[in-house]
Amino acid sequence: MNVSSQAWVVVADDANIGGLLEAARPLGTSLVAVVAGRREVADAVATAGVDRVVWLGEPADGVPTEAYGPAVGRVVATAAPRVVVGPATDAGRVLLGAVAAATGAVVLAGVSELSLDGEQIVVERAVSGGIAVRRDRVVAGTAVVVVAPGGAVAGAAPVAVEEVDPGPLLALRITDRRVTPRAGVDLGSAKTVVGVGRGLKAREDLALIEDLAAAAGGELACSRPLAEGVDWVGKERYLGISGQTITPDLYVAIGISGQIQHMVGVRQAKTIVAVNSDPHAPVFRECDYGIVGDLYTVVPLLADAFRAARS
Amino acid sequence: MKIVVAYKWAANPQDAEVGPDGTVDWNRAKGAVSEYDPVAFELARALADTCGGEVVGVTVGAAAIDTPLARKAALSRGLDSLVLVADDALRGADGTRIAAVLAGAVRAIGDVDVILAGESSVDVGDRQVAMTLAAQLGWAGLNSVRAVSVAGGSLVVEREVTGGVETVVADGPVVLAATADAALPRVPGMKEILGAAKKPTQVLDLAALDVPATVDTIAPVSTARPDTGNRQGVMLDAADLPAAAAQLTAALRQSGVL
Repeated sequence: MNVSSQAWVVVADDANIGGLLEAARPLGTSLVAVVAGRREVADAVATAGVDRVVWLGEPADGVPTEAYGPAVGRVVATAAPRVVVGPATDAGRVLLGAVAAATGAVVLAGVSELSLDGEQIVVERAVSGGIAVRRDRVVAGTAVVVVAPGGAVAGAAPVAVEEVDPGPLLALRITDRRVTPRAGVDLGSAKTVVGVGRGLKAREDLALIEDLAAAAGGELACSRPLAEGVDWVGKERYLGISGQTITPDLYVAIGISGQIQHMVGVRQAKTIVAVNSDPHAPVFRECDYGIVGDLYTVVPLLADAFRAARS
Repeated sequence: MKIVVAYKWAANPQDAEVGPDGTVDWNRAKGAVSEYDPVAFELARALADTCGGEVVGVTVGAAAIDTPLARKAALSRGLDSLVLVADDALRGADGTRIAAVLAGAVRAIGDVDVILAGESSVDVGDRQVAMTLAAQLGWAGLNSVRAVSVAGGSLVVEREVTGGVETVVADGPVVLAATADAALPRVPGMKEILGAAKKPTQVLDLAALDVPATVDTIAPVSTARPDTGNRQGVMLDAADLPAAAAQLTAALRQSGVL
């Protein structure tokens, strides 16, 4: 399949696409967004600095973004761009799966670097669950890439929103939505994150860690065991290969052993501090500062010291 | 109702060796039902038991995925039967190709109403194959599924979304990727393991399947070990914790990160 020199982004009813644009823009001669979702999202995308916006029409009440998979796949495959970038979200993965099905291309995840070498895209990404890094060259068809969606983008002169008939949608309808009391959190833009893991013995001890996070002016996060299974911390705060990837100035790992699946999500922190009672914990091989000690002793001392320093 | 569990026979990367050049040696890592898949078996069995139906396990991969141990490990998790595509042509196949062969197997089984899968594979972890499979079949796909039932002839799916839970009704066949804690998977007991030997396994010939077209998109350039960022690795003296806390705080202030 011959590809055009365009770069496309897939928008899944969310105009927070800074990460998608940043990844896609250097890779094509023009930047096109295909929007599955509401008109207001398409309008916002139209001011994000793209050259074209293709919008699949207003979803009827209760129609989820996933219902637009075949339409997104068809529109993208027809354009046959050099690269398609979409968000690493539940709906994003469904829409990119549709692009993969329509183009036959693999979806590239865990991407750390995208570049253009002549006419070919070169991709660097974590493979085998993050234990290794691979560079590949896209030698045939479209590069389909999933990245963290990033934040809001605006300020460019708006381009026209071109409405395209989506054709038949998939038979899905949302019949109920229940809000859970946990507040949303934006770990992606947090400057300081304090993560806690299996070293924590009881749910009520979470207050200790929350206090440290507050003293550091940061957000609370956790490793997988605390978000799944015991459910002490909300899943939206879970860091790692299948959770969130963060890029703070400071990451403090408390009672986290540092298994690869966790470290993949925090490696881009500028500074990593680790507190663990096991001197052989792998986290100490990947930290800037380490303290071997019982978190129940160390954390209150750190909280006091952080609070004093920041006041 | 015909329910398929699409699972992977895979090893945990924690047990693999990574060379200085980033090559991964899986020789000492043992295969297993991939870590996030038992929850899909559990949801499938529960759905079949409450709504009536059969549960068929499906996995595809290199020839080595078909061993007596691997068959038993899957069949002891509540399946009624097992379907395999085990062919060395699939060694190192990318996710879209794996999904395509799964699609071919599901077409061969026929009349499937729902496919359940785990949220990601333990050895790759891209969280993509199930949703690509849905699209190749022309079906709907949903992620972060925590429950599934049947009402009025339709599948009723509960899924986690940002800030809450949604109920989504699917009026056609659908692929569902379950959250890792959607159900507590039972550990197969002696009865299940012995029972597994009596359940049928069908091995499908890859060449005979109706597999959606795929493109070999990428060619390798190089591999490397992950960049762990040249961390300073300063271990603070734990014998005097207040001093260590003060020293750490001063260092973080000085570098401007606190």
